[in-house]
Amino acid sequence: MPSEMITLQLGQCGNQIGFEFWKQLCIEHGISPEGILEEFASAGSDRKDVFFYQADDDHYIPRAVLLDLEPRVIHTIMNSPYAKLYNPENVYLSKHGGGAGNNWASGFAQGEKLNEEVFDIINREADGSDNLEGFVLCHSIAGGTGSGMGSYILEHLSDRFPKKLVQTYSVFPNLDEISDVVVQPYNSLLTLKRLTESADCVMVLDNTALNRIASDRLHIQNPSFAQINTLVSTIMSASTATLRYPSYMNNDLISLVAPLIPTPRLHFLMTGYTPLTADHELNTAPKIRKTTVLDVMQRLLQPKNMMVSLSPDRTNQHCYISILNIIQGEVDPSQVHKSLQRIRERKLASFIPWGPASIQVALSRRSPYVHASHKVSGLLLANHTNISSLFDRCLQQFDKLRKREAFLEVFRKEPMFKESLEEFDESRSVVDDLVQEYQAAATPDYVHWNPESSHI
Amino acid sequence: MIHDALIILWNASGLDDSENKKDMNFAEQGDIEIYNRICDIAKSHQKIENFIESTGFHSRKSQNGVKPYGLYAQALGEGMTEVLQSYKKTLIEVESLVIGNHNYTLSFVYSYVEKFRGLFNTLNKILTTIKQRRLVGCQILSLIHQYILNGNEMVHEAVVRIFSCVNKVFVNQLCTWLLYGELKDPCLEFFIYRNEKNECSDTFLSSPSSNTCDKSLVSTLQDTTMDCGYHLTSNMIPYFMPLSLAQEILFIGKTVILFSFDPKKAKRSQCFISRGVLPLQRCGVDSRRFTIWEEKEAEFHNKLQTLKNPEVFEVANLRCVIRDIKECVTKHLWVVAVEEAHLLHELQLMKDFYLLGRGELFLELLRLTSHILDKPTNRTATRDMNHAFQLAARAVFLSNSTDIEKFNFELPYVKPNISGNSSIEDDSSTVADGWSSIVLKYDFKWPLHLVFTPEVLARYNDMFRLLLRIKKTQHDLHALWKAYKHSTSFSMCQLHNKLMFLMDNLQHYLQADVLETNFSRLMDAVAKTNDFERLKKAHATFLADVLSQSFLTVTSISQHESEHSDTTDSINNPVFCNIMELLKLCDSFCSMGELASDRETEDYYIRGYSDRFNKLVKQLMQLLVSLRDRPCGVFLARLLMRLDYNRWLSGEAQLTQSVTNMLRY
Repeated sequence: MPSEMITLQLGQCGNQIGFEFWKQLCIEHGISPEGILEEFASAGSDRKDVFFYQADDDHYIPRAVLLDLEPRVIHTIMNSPYAKLYNPENVYLSKHGGGAGNNWASGFAQGEKLNEEVFDIINREADGSDNLEGFVLCHSIAGGTGSGMGSYILEHLSDRFPKKLVQTYSVFPNLDEISDVVVQPYNSLLTLKRLTESADCVMVLDNTALNRIASDRLHIQNPSFAQINTLVSTIMSASTATLRYPSYMNNDLISLVAPLIPTPRLHFLMTGYTPLTADHELNTAPKIRKTTVLDVMQRLLQPKNMMVSLSPDRTNQHCYISILNIIQGEVDPSQVHKSLQRIRERKLASFIPWGPASIQVALSRRSPYVHASHKVSGLLLANHTNISSLFDRCLQQFDKLRKREAFLEVFRKEPMFKESLEEFDESRSVVDDLVQEYQAAATPDYVHWNPESSHI
Repeated sequence: MIHDALIILWNASGLDDSENKKDMNFAEQGDIEIYNRICDIAKSHQKIENFIESTGFHSRKSQNGVKPYGLYAQALGEGMTEVLQSYKKTLIEVESLVIGNHNYTLSFVYSYVEKFRGLFNTLNKILTTIKQRRLVGCQILSLIHQYILNGNEMVHEAVVRIFSCVNKVFVNQLCTWLLYGELKDPCLEFFIYRNEKNECSDTFLSSPSSNTCDKSLVSTLQDTTMDCGYHLTSNMIPYFMPLSLAQEILFIGKTVILFSFDPKKAKRSQCFISRGVLPLQRCGVDSRRFTIWEEKEAEFHNKLQTLKNPEVFEVANLRCVIRDIKECVTKHLWVVAVEEAHLLHELQLMKDFYLLGRGELFLELLRLTSHILDKPTNRTATRDMNHAFQLAARAVFLSNSTDIEKFNFELPYVKPNISGNSSIEDDSSTVADGWSSIVLKYDFKWPLHLVFTPEVLARYNDMFRLLLRIKKTQHDLHALWKAYKHSTSFSMCQLHNKLMFLMDNLQHYLQADVLETNFSRLMDAVAKTNDFERLKKAHATFLADVLSQSFLTVTSISQHESEHSDTTDSINNPVFCNIMELLKLCDSFCSMGELASDRETEDYYIRGYSDRFNKLVKQLMQLLVSLRDRPCGVFLARLLMRLDYNRWLSGEAQLTQSVTNMLRY
């Protein structure tokens, strides 16, 4: 089976969104919670084998590795109907079960300690596939395990599998509410450095935007984790649709990722999805009636549908580096060209001035086993220079804490920071460079941009 | 003398001029004139009698080297005999009157037979025309039909009667042809004939069609190999029958013949190639017949038989009946092709395989076989390729393996020309690698060869090679992405991006704008009709549109006889040539890694490639000016809209104002 993907779920958040993702995949491919192919799905021509492997005739097992340092979430998964879905050998819980205490340094250090055991699992999983294309890492950047241990794994994945792609679904913390994790800005920044340097493609899932969409667009007063995670799993399943269903193009991850990421470091992608419906609204008449390709494509370009909260671009200096729309449903293919033309004429999207860029539209099938409330739905994957504002906010929050030298003692406990806090400064400079580069990419001078010139 | 006259009127064979004169001596003054007139009538009657004699049963029996008259002439003779009955009756009447009363004069006799003069003249005119123009078969029918309209009531009726006789022959032939696909035509008189010669040739790898306009392309693609040697004889078609109607009649008969082959017993290849064994293969004819017409056979038969009545025989009526039959035939074809042979499924397969609809399968195939296809083909290439195809199919779990088995590859092995007549030629004509010669073969169910003719499959293969080539290039470029991530050279990254962008968009254009759009249109058209002919036309239109929108046609713009006179058989659309150049550029860029060892040579290569890229892209945009009025100009504009989406390429190419304006699409 070509182009397999292995999913690594790390920490509380990573396991939660991973769990939702697998639930969604099982429904879409007609696989029961026990991993048995349902009878109605036996004739399907979908490509289950990208994310699952076939244990026997109709038994499918996710190519997933579940890692955590504390047992709560994994125990929830193991007590759910989906407990039998996973390969138990791929579920790893650290023995002392104490977690990382929301401390990046602790997560990183434990990752180092458990390195052998974790990579044994990953290696075994990789050996089990014919033509592994890459890894999908689900984690949050704010906590301890997902960010710290995730960072360690990221650094070593690219060493051990230099030719494989590493894609991450990284959850960014909600900055609208006060977090109980005080060191969150430190954790985020340290993780961002690894995401910049070691990942090939980062799908930014911004909790701020997800909460905003849930309350503004779906009218949910206090969105629960489950409701937010449903949004995430929708995005994850739609963004892998062309891999999971046979189609004329975008059959492997690289063909999705490569056109979106023209320069190596600018690999942070935003997502958008339309139309969104919450469960409690399904029974009422759908609000979005018009579902032509043009409508879907236009709505995807609206900032309010974007799942990343960007600071408003008042000077209009930011632009798209690239856009990929994955459109699912009953679509008249001849509409695609017309819609592209209309968007171009109306200048609804501004693009980089230093190279060719366009909106690519991939039409994809949709699972026949899921009742779709809308005729057409679309996912946007975009590389936009304004994502730098998100990193800029991370930098500002980091600087606020760092100036007061607050909460540094928990980091100093770990060997990595015992001697010095150089790691902080180094990470800060990497992220700062990233912000600079994104800003430069919005100008024609990017052709001559040089990372050294912006170094302090 | 009256008796002389009567005898002459019965039989004028002994009549000659000398006797005429002798009679004149006995005659009274006024009678000479009348007697002469009687002789004239008698002579023209005799001519007709002679004709009847020669076509009659006895002469047929005692053939002695003379060219026999055909069925139509015989029918004509019979018709004339019938008409002459009334003449003979009149003679008997006159004779008995004359015997009963000796006072009757010659004028009295003449008054009886005079009315036949006009009739005999007309009939003789018909006969002489037939003789002079050497008319046979349907031509005779046609001629008689022309004489039907006559002011003289008697002549009119007589001609109608003759026509109905001849028409019987025609309707009978028509009937056997339409209902059973048999030509009961020993004297080659029908307007359809069978070409006994075996002129079928394998045109699978025929050169690209040299059509300049789309309409003719559509018709070539629609042309099927159904002509199992049956053709129209244009000079035999009756004048009252329009050509289109004749073609419909031909089509119905051919279709009926087609159904009379039992697909399970007769191998398709045989029925194409060796017509000689045809009778042997007509097994199960009877069972087939019933399935075509179901219970309608009798109905159609009756309808056709009523056409024998000259009152009913009008072109409009004939057309009605033919339409009815044709509708029935095409519906049956539709049932056989669409329901029994699953044409819709097969069309989907064509898209999945020839048009690379199963991207993941071909991605895997490319991974396994690009090394085979890169090299000039060798003897084992075909086998290796098919083996890899099986592996790839297994790898992507194409569960329905029966579909896979329908396809196989062929890499035609051309023995390298060792003798090498001239070294110059060897340099110019590069040895064909697998990419340009690979053929995907398709084993379809009977009777789908009506749709997927060799010509159609050859065009599908053109498309297939282009798409495969693009997919391969795109795949190679993607493979470099991870490597260039760590490259510090921005210009390298930028060039790689540009090439990748180009390939991605070219593929998006072909797959989404061209293939998906046209295919959904085809499916709509197919869903709307249950008429096989329309379905075939829709498919031909689909393929023609796809080809012209993919620039895979031969255009006449650059046909300067002086230059490139030897390349006229290859696809010479300037857009296509440009795209091929770009593909070549991408390929050499992908293999640059092996060539460029140090930074300096790398920079040198990058500069060279960038220049070439800019030049080609600029050229592509400028082509729009020259192609503006052509249909493919619209589609070039569509492609360019994708490529120049953020107006970067046009800015970079520094085009003149006029061209930039046109790029607004």
